[in-house]
Amino acid sequence: MTSPFPPSSSAPGEGRLVVQLLPHNISALSTITFQYPLKLISPSPSAAQKSVLVFLLTYGGGLVGGDQVNLTINVKRKAKLSIVTQGHTKIFKSPTRQVVTRQSLHVTVEDGAAVCLLPDPVQPFEGSVYGQSQKFYVAEGGSLCLLDWVSAGRTARGEDWDLRAWSGRNEVWLAPQSNDKARLLLRDNVILEREALDGTIQDLRKKMHGMGIFGTLVLRGPLMEALAAFFMSEFAALPRIGARDFRSQDRKETDDKAGLSQQETWRYSRLSQEKEAGVLWSVAKVRGCIVVKFGARTVEGSRDWIGSMLKEEGSVVSHFGEDAAMCVR
Amino acid sequence: MSTPLADSSESQAIRDEIADLKMRLRDANARLRGVQANGQAPPAKVLHSDGPLSTSSHHFLLLLSDSALPLGSFAFSSGLESYLSHTRPRSSFPAFLDFSLSSYASTTLPFVLAAHRKPEDLIDLDDALDAAIMCTVGRRASVAQGRALLSIWDRSFSAALPVGAEGAVVESLREFAGLMKGTSSTASSDLPTASAHLGPLFGAIACILGMSLQQTAYVFMLSHVKALLSAAVRASIFGPYHAQKMLASVEVQEGIQRVVDQQWNTKVEDAGQSVPVIDLWIGRHEMLYSRIFNS
Repeated sequence: MTSPFPPSSSAPGEGRLVVQLLPHNISALSTITFQYPLKLISPSPSAAQKSVLVFLLTYGGGLVGGDQVNLTINVKRKAKLSIVTQGHTKIFKSPTRQVVTRQSLHVTVEDGAAVCLLPDPVQPFEGSVYGQSQKFYVAEGGSLCLLDWVSAGRTARGEDWDLRAWSGRNEVWLAPQSNDKARLLLRDNVILEREALDGTIQDLRKKMHGMGIFGTLVLRGPLMEALAAFFMSEFAALPRIGARDFRSQDRKETDDKAGLSQQETWRYSRLSQEKEAGVLWSVAKVRGCIVVKFGARTVEGSRDWIGSMLKEEGSVVSHFGEDAAMCVR
Repeated sequence: MSTPLADSSESQAIRDEIADLKMRLRDANARLRGVQANGQAPPAKVLHSDGPLSTSSHHFLLLLSDSALPLGSFAFSSGLESYLSHTRPRSSFPAFLDFSLSSYASTTLPFVLAAHRKPEDLIDLDDALDAAIMCTVGRRASVAQGRALLSIWDRSFSAALPVGAEGAVVESLREFAGLMKGTSSTASSDLPTASAHLGPLFGAIACILGMSLQQTAYVFMLSHVKALLSAAVRASIFGPYHAQKMLASVEVQEGIQRVVDQQWNTKVEDAGQSVPVIDLWIGRHEMLYSRIFNS
């Protein structure tokens, strides 16, 4: 007997979000659907909110070996969306190298719209196999702020890049104007492999060179211009490696007292934090996007660093609201 | 049971027969040579050609692997100089060589292989690689050497091609060169139509010159190792003899073969950074107080 009900349109792990702009410049969700193991929660909207906030969650706070999550997001003209998580996305052990836990995200950002994706780091457990693919189709006037970071695992349990394989791909495409093809702007692909498909083991720990976390921040579009410029200028202002300070101790002290601007004071304290936490970072302009790559000895060290950068500049909070940056609070 | 005497006479007969057969074989061989050569036989060709060209592909193999190939590779250390400054005094060249080999192969080699397999896709491959390099300094190094290779092709190699060889592929390279000339004036724009990265161009040109896919991949990675070792010598890590010793070592041979095998079937969409910290070192090269290399 055929079912009298219409066929279910959702498959396990599938999710869909549509954000649009209501009158009075309020962004609101017009669609939110999700299926186990994916879970999406959005706090009830308020008139003062700068963007729609959505929590990207999974049951049990992580993905079990072989889980597949597929989330499609459409942010309509001039609407703003920020996506956060509630703690690390844990990736549990896979039974074999062939069982891949996957998370894929497909986001369309229309003209004047903006997406801010600042999740907590992905935490791949020992023996996990994970593949993440995030594709963003951004219109010419669309904005994007995307953070993707991965940690060494449960360091408290002695894990140190003991995952089997981890790969993270971030693509930014320029959405086609009319009938043209979408143009690839950026394809950032990080492949960490301790165990190859044929079973050979490599020394991943050595390759990670003492880093406990590694991340990528991608910025694009008019709303992110100021933040991008800030990263570029802070990078240019980094002290030269191997430079020596030939000033005497007295001179240094008098120089330090002689009116440092507020920004310089902040920069000095950030630089000492960078040094302490072993933060290494660099920034590159890739075809209209700004890509910041960073690594640090500990998750907390990198969290402090990126939080300090985002807070000092302020664009994320002013465009998306306080909650958008909760992962670095 | 036969006596020892009878046994020895029997074996003697077999030995005689063998000697006789050997003499007849020698005779026959000599006669055959006489018939074939009518005098002095010519020396065997040093380099025989497997490729479609009448010229030997090995000839171009040697040219492309030559350190005198004017690519300007000597100006780049692929992050070695920055690595040394970041890790002093615990730097280890063999460790860096390992990182660099793995990282360069996983990011770039799939593009070399793809361009060799399908040279007519050169423009798309160049564009895809341009979108995949996440590092200003690395991009500069790749483009500088790629443009140099394109010039070598344009001014030097293309003249050596026999007329009519591989028409369509040579045409696509010419089209690419034309595109390059068109974009050089608007280099400041965010989205270049063509950038001339080294990897895909190397693959396409090696294909036209008749080099096999294996040779191309091996030479491409070997050139990278040679450039690193040459940089190491100039950065005074060790002397030229030690550099040659490393270059000749089984570790380097096996290392190159291993990464070539690993990336043999990697699609260009799946090419990516396998040693993330390399991007940081290369990207932070600009932060060095003093530097002798461009990357």
